[in-house]
Amino acid sequence: MADTHDTPAASSLDRRDFFKGAALGAAGLVVVGGDSAADAAPLPPAPAAEPPTLANDLAFAQAQAGAAPPVRAAAQGRPASDFMVDVLKKIGFEYAAINPGSTFQGLHESIVNYGNNTAPELLTCLHEEAAVAMAHGYAKASGKPMLVIVHGTVGLLHSSMALFQAWADRVPVVVIVGHHRNPSGVINRPHSAQDMGLLVRSFVKYDDEATTLERFAESAMRAYRIAMTPPLGPVLLTVAAELQESTVNAEPRIPELTLSAPPQGDAAAVREAARLLVGSQSPLIQIAKIGRTPRAWDLLIELAEALQVPVDVMGYASWQKFPSWHSLYGTGGPGYTPDVTLGLEVSDMSAQARTARANGRKTISISAEHLFQGSNIHDFGRYADVDLAIAADAEATLPALIEEIRRQITSERKGAIQARGVRVAAAHKENQLTAIREARHGWDGSPVSVPRLVAELAEQIAGDDWAIVSGHQFTGDWQRRLLNHDKPYRYNGDCGGFGIGYDTPASVGAALAHKKAGRLSVGIVGDGDLNFSPGVIWTAAHHRIPLLLVVHNNRAYHAEVMIIQRMCGVRGRGNANAHIGNVIADPNVNYAQMAKAYGMYSEGPIENPKELAGAYQRALAKVRAGEPALIDVVSQPR
Amino acid sequence: MTTRLAALAIVLLAMPALAAAQTQPAAAAPAAATGNAQRGKVLFETTLRCYACHGFDGQTGSPRLVPMTRAEDVFLVYVRKPATTGMPTFAATPERELRDVYAYVRSIPQAAPAPEGIPLLKGILDRRAKAN
Repeated sequence: MADTHDTPAASSLDRRDFFKGAALGAAGLVVVGGDSAADAAPLPPAPAAEPPTLANDLAFAQAQAGAAPPVRAAAQGRPASDFMVDVLKKIGFEYAAINPGSTFQGLHESIVNYGNNTAPELLTCLHEEAAVAMAHGYAKASGKPMLVIVHGTVGLLHSSMALFQAWADRVPVVVIVGHHRNPSGVINRPHSAQDMGLLVRSFVKYDDEATTLERFAESAMRAYRIAMTPPLGPVLLTVAAELQESTVNAEPRIPELTLSAPPQGDAAAVREAARLLVGSQSPLIQIAKIGRTPRAWDLLIELAEALQVPVDVMGYASWQKFPSWHSLYGTGGPGYTPDVTLGLEVSDMSAQARTARANGRKTISISAEHLFQGSNIHDFGRYADVDLAIAADAEATLPALIEEIRRQITSERKGAIQARGVRVAAAHKENQLTAIREARHGWDGSPVSVPRLVAELAEQIAGDDWAIVSGHQFTGDWQRRLLNHDKPYRYNGDCGGFGIGYDTPASVGAALAHKKAGRLSVGIVGDGDLNFSPGVIWTAAHHRIPLLLVVHNNRAYHAEVMIIQRMCGVRGRGNANAHIGNVIADPNVNYAQMAKAYGMYSEGPIENPKELAGAYQRALAKVRAGEPALIDVVSQPR
Repeated sequence: MTTRLAALAIVLLAMPALAAAQTQPAAAAPAAATGNAQRGKVLFETTLRCYACHGFDGQTGSPRLVPMTRAEDVFLVYVRKPATTGMPTFAATPERELRDVYAYVRSIPQAAPAPEGIPLLKGILDRRAKAN
């Protein structure tokens, strides 16, 4: 098909032109743009005007305040951004999270009018970092990307931190960024870039600028496919305002969306992995970014039980897709030294490999990371000289590995494997019961202990189909100790990039995904985290996203307090000033009032643990009725 | 932000060593504290901010400080030159202040309730015991 938009019309109404049009409109003229002749060739240069300056723009704006609204004839022909909406609908985006900006005003208008604001439905966000973090949480809970549309440069830069987190967490997010190809005016020029993707290229898997509608359609499909091909990741598509606001001359074909089959491990390598595991006396499975579909949960249980091998979920950098109260959940108990370690989507196995080689043990890595490590971000760690590196998607490889293991297990080995499972299960159960008993310390203390905060919650949601939609890096893993994570959606994982500001917006995004399934979503978020994107409380309230947010309000960046104390001590200068710059007090922040201001039901601050149960009950009643709610709990540091 | 969490990771990794250091019994029955517990509470919570790692009542952090098994002088030696990198050194803190902190820690009720006596925890323990 012929390329229909190699020379798209210049923007018919960018912000600078809007001001000019307003002045002309006030003089009784009608500004007409977007006729078919104009679409075929670039518009003539703008008439000479006084040099654009900020003062001039502001003068226009001030004059406009008292003038009649600008009049612009309806565009003749089909708006190009309507075509873009057709593409987005064909891809199947349910939602598009936005903070508005003039560089995508064409697309914005098409979504809400032409597209009836459904599929995608716009989610109004108050910060682009929150928009992308919402998409991050949504993707992990739903298994599919959310669309995010951001303003040229400024919106993209605001979103960059959350894009980094999605990259580091290997989570698909599709971002469209607008810009002005031919900017005029002091406001529009900074929203344009020669190479928009450059701003975030270190942490997106793919980026492209759609210079024509045909290319938009193909690049959008390609972007989605790349985002969903393991290792998953965020992608970016730049679309000029001029293209959005042009008209369609000849309707380009919208291609079909076809996703790539994930790569499976080489058959011979899988056989060798099975041989090592079956012959092992004390194997260990370590899992990190595995679980892009719920099937991985069942496959991991199947694999673990076939070998009676402990499964180490590896802490904060993992999606932790293994039941927390399963008899094989853990590292095998005291004295269990793995002679073969299988890493599934573990990005850095260098330490395991070094230890293993020094002690005559073996390591195996099955990961899509081996296929794609072209990043400025060194989250893949040091070189891991594992014995067997299988470049493949671990989830897609598990069926063949399980089958091969079953084939290789002899009746003689079966007995030893079962005996190992009994030993491991006994050790794990005792470990877990001991860990639960630890919750008694400080049980009635004030501020509220974190285990009390979680245990009271566990009691209240025991009868619900619940999902913890926040990470656990600041709650000390109490939720996995005190709540039985017996379904793949019980826990949504941490941020990926070890930066704060993820938990609150990601909780909102994940809760949106769970809403359709009728699940009860709970996010336990730190006060430090909440302060990065508090506006997302309004987004949850505005869009009626049912979610209980529990603020673990310890009034400080406590890890930093400890670190600065240590630095003070190393330098022998006393510890009295270590809190400066680390404490969120004087005045204390009242998060319940904050939530009320944003229109969300809230209670707190709660300092007496005996008040928790009632507060949870009242807030959960709101959530079960379809509203979000927030409980502010003044808590122990961790 | 990354620094913040990397630092946290270091501290958390150091926890087992810290806990081990704390639980080494230095004396079978430490003698009574000589410092002022009230002053020690203020130091613990607002000046030296020991609570950041150990919790406001010395029970909820890592390592827990109660029950305190170290004798007062052993405690002073330890906090001035900790055996682990995770614990900040308080070498520059006046001896009297450290004795006050010790007195505060010793003043905290030393025994936590039995988990089986807390209905919520007993319920969780029962559920875990029955699971798998």
